[in-house]
Amino acid sequence: MSALLVIASALDGQMSRSALELVGGARALAGPLGGTVAAALLGAPPAVSGAAEVLHQHGVSTVYRVAHDALTTGQSDAVLEAAQAVVQRAEPAVVFITADTVGREVAPRLAYRMRAALATEAMSVEADGQTILVRRQVYGGRAVATLAVTARPAVLSVKPRTLDVPGPSPAAGTVVDVPLAIDPARLAAQVRDRQRQEAEVSLEDAPIVVGGGRGVGGPEGFRLLGELAKALGGAVGSSRPPADEGWVPITWQIGQTGKSIRPNLYIAVGISGAAQHVAGVSGARTIVAINKDPEAPIFSLAHFGLVGDFKQIVPALLERLRAVKGA
Amino acid sequence: MYRAVDFRLSDEHRVVQAAAADFAAREILPLAADLDRSGGFPQEVIRKAAEAGLLAMTVPEAYGGAGLDAVAYVIAQEELARASAGVQTIITVNNSLVCEPILRFGSEAQKRTYLPALASGRSLGCYCLTEPASGSDAMSLRTSARADGEHWILNGTKIFVTNGVEADVCLVYARTGPEPGARGLSAFIVEKRVPGVRVGKIEHKLGIRCSSTAEIVFEDARVPKANLLGEVGQGGRIALATLDGGRLGIAAQAVGIARAALEAARDYARQRTQFGRPIADFQAIQWMLADMATRIDAARLLTLRAAWLRAQDRPHTREASMAKLFASETAMWATHKAVQIHGGYGYIQDYPVERYFRDAKITEIYEGTSEIQRLVIARHTIGTRT
Amino acid sequence: MNTVVCLKQVVDPELPAWDFAIDPATKRQVRTGKPLVISTYDENALELALQLKEKVGGKVTALTLGPAGEVKDAVRLALAMGADEAVVIDDAEAPLRLGPDKAAVLAAAIRRLGAADLVLTGCESADWVERSVAPLLAEMLGAACVTFITALETGAGTVTVRRTAEEGVHVVQARLPAVLSVTSDEAIRPRLPKVKDIMGAMRKPVQQWTPADVGAEAVLPPVEVREVSVPQRTTRCEFLEGDPAQQAQALVERLQALKLI
Repeated sequence: MSALLVIASALDGQMSRSALELVGGARALAGPLGGTVAAALLGAPPAVSGAAEVLHQHGVSTVYRVAHDALTTGQSDAVLEAAQAVVQRAEPAVVFITADTVGREVAPRLAYRMRAALATEAMSVEADGQTILVRRQVYGGRAVATLAVTARPAVLSVKPRTLDVPGPSPAAGTVVDVPLAIDPARLAAQVRDRQRQEAEVSLEDAPIVVGGGRGVGGPEGFRLLGELAKALGGAVGSSRPPADEGWVPITWQIGQTGKSIRPNLYIAVGISGAAQHVAGVSGARTIVAINKDPEAPIFSLAHFGLVGDFKQIVPALLERLRAVKGA
Repeated sequence: MYRAVDFRLSDEHRVVQAAAADFAAREILPLAADLDRSGGFPQEVIRKAAEAGLLAMTVPEAYGGAGLDAVAYVIAQEELARASAGVQTIITVNNSLVCEPILRFGSEAQKRTYLPALASGRSLGCYCLTEPASGSDAMSLRTSARADGEHWILNGTKIFVTNGVEADVCLVYARTGPEPGARGLSAFIVEKRVPGVRVGKIEHKLGIRCSSTAEIVFEDARVPKANLLGEVGQGGRIALATLDGGRLGIAAQAVGIARAALEAARDYARQRTQFGRPIADFQAIQWMLADMATRIDAARLLTLRAAWLRAQDRPHTREASMAKLFASETAMWATHKAVQIHGGYGYIQDYPVERYFRDAKITEIYEGTSEIQRLVIARHTIGTRT
Repeated sequence: MNTVVCLKQVVDPELPAWDFAIDPATKRQVRTGKPLVISTYDENALELALQLKEKVGGKVTALTLGPAGEVKDAVRLALAMGADEAVVIDDAEAPLRLGPDKAAVLAAAIRRLGAADLVLTGCESADWVERSVAPLLAEMLGAACVTFITALETGAGTVTVRRTAEEGVHVVQARLPAVLSVTSDEAIRPRLPKVKDIMGAMRKPVQQWTPADVGAEAVLPPVEVREVSVPQRTTRCEFLEGDPAQQAQALVERLQALKLI
């Protein structure tokens, strides 16, 4: 039986949540396609030791473990070599990779080395007979494309936070250690430094996100949004213009370019609702829009709309929230 | 060989259109509403326009210009005016009314002295023709120039001078001989810094508010002999030839304003819902938009034809007048309809159509009123009558 | 530094939603009659290449793949912005090609051009957003690969780039030759093409080849685009009226009822 191989990275000391999202995607295909779910667990020696068990718990039978000091955050070249080493051993029919900083670089390159069919930035995967249907947003989120992947092997990259983490499904599993003979100093691209810019609460994991757009007017406006986010226990993000203008770090950007988020509550402030941004928040459960233009497209997406000046509405909200919490 | 009429733009004209549209979208449009409200001169925009080569589009590259033709010029002017008629006015005056006559009638020395400065934005030009007592009857102007050794001494008052406040170089028409009308006129390149030239009254206007309009007063202003443009007595001819080109710039401006109004009205009609449906679904609105689109296309085609003739160095006085007349009346009419489609929202400053409406009116007035254009067209149609 | 910048021409992504339509026959956006622009991030890549040339010298070649009649304006604009020369791969099929197919043609053209130190692309195209061309080019050309960069500095046989990552910025050193994809940053906001440079741009050399001329061959098995659909939104927005205090109260009540706060 052929394998559906998940590239499970544990580059930053622990296995990422998106690895389990991939396991969910692979499990959904395993039945219809007829295959088992395997994983390539990649990381520096201490990080990968316990993670195999978590993968087994989630239904992964074989874990190919590559432990190497070069497998750290951002080291795409090392990840590519490691993934290739596992692929040579496992000969998978389908490889799943998270479309994050490293995955975006690795997936096409691995596909090329495997001469595999490639579909990137998937938001859902399902089987139609032996064909894999991959859905992804195109045209700045204005349309959804369905790609039919029939060739094998195939490499699929999946956008983080678009598939659900599956429930546990313990599988009896084995761990196969795969050796990796690379010299980190000889990799063509090497991470020399990392500068963290992330907000206090991770945008992608926050249950509540307050997003600001061009209408916020500048960095001062975002400070006000920061207060609101703090009061709600959420994070602040932005649409593209504030990130392009340098009002906020580019890591705050939500949208087709930028992060996809699926919070319970998204509050869009001064955001017109360009498709490019909407593409990143379509997974939000409840959307509130605050905008002074009653005709702004964001209102056609929102559940609740507040027409007016956010500089008056947001302080009023803060006051109201304080009153409610104090009561 | 017979060649069919070809309505496609050439490669370079399409690229000019894209470049001008990019410039307008990035450098003008975001400021347009504020510039209209404040009425402040857009110094920084004009500096960037100069850098982009928009201030001397038809001046050859050897003199620092963009080396483009009259067709490229009107295509770009439409894009600029679509964003802000005020900004475009400043630019079109420098191009059509100052660079062009120096290029066509100037000596090599004058071209080398003035064109690179006017192209690069080191100098801004203005055009001094109209006087308190001579508007449509321009050739009856009274400003005098008398020879005095190596200088001409100018005396008189010019009004409604676009760029009058900021300009460094003035193209001035003055009477140099006793002959009545055009034959007694000559043209001069006058640097505004010379003693005896001052800015008088500054006007407050209905539209094109970020461009300055001022009175310029000449009191024994001493202009070097070398600054006579063309020959003595050639002023009338220079003025008329210059206005042909100027009218193209205004025709293109009018097309740009009208197009902006149409696009705004269309977008509004699509999103504004009344009686449960977008007002664009109603035939009353559809017909207005259809008529606007048709007249605007006709105005643009007239403008392009006149520009093409000018680019070919063929006579185009009649065609330039037709383009200017039809385009300006289309702009006035289309902006009026655009306000109507917006209803109450068209009458307030939150939407741009009230600005378009105010800006449109000047196109029926300056560089020859609609009445003067009809006079010119009638002369060409009927023949000169005494 | 010899830099090749890959530029793609796309239907203007700023077109209003009502002007957006999918052609059921091609399963792509209708292009006919729509304004075409250089894809946003590709322009940033060109800007980065031009800034690099201004700093360290060298040559910038603009490379584009598409129907020649449609893409030549993009090429002239790139030349007016300061590219030294341009290559058009005339390919009527280009709008239908997916990343691996495009990369195969571009790689063949870059090989034919010879000796590129750097190949820059946008981090994604504004239409299909596959983000695959730069990594594929790197493999096909045997070059180093870094994507989503905002800045670069050259060293001895290397470039050091700033890569945008989830948690911040990675500083990555890559060996030359390298294929880099570029995202956006204030410092690489593309310059405007100047009308005064257009006549000069019309005189610069533009090569025109076909995919067959460069010997391009598809390497990866194809993926079929089965359907492209435009989702209809059904949300109905409840507008909360009143002054800001009343709006705030109404919102907080509703969020509490939904147990969101």
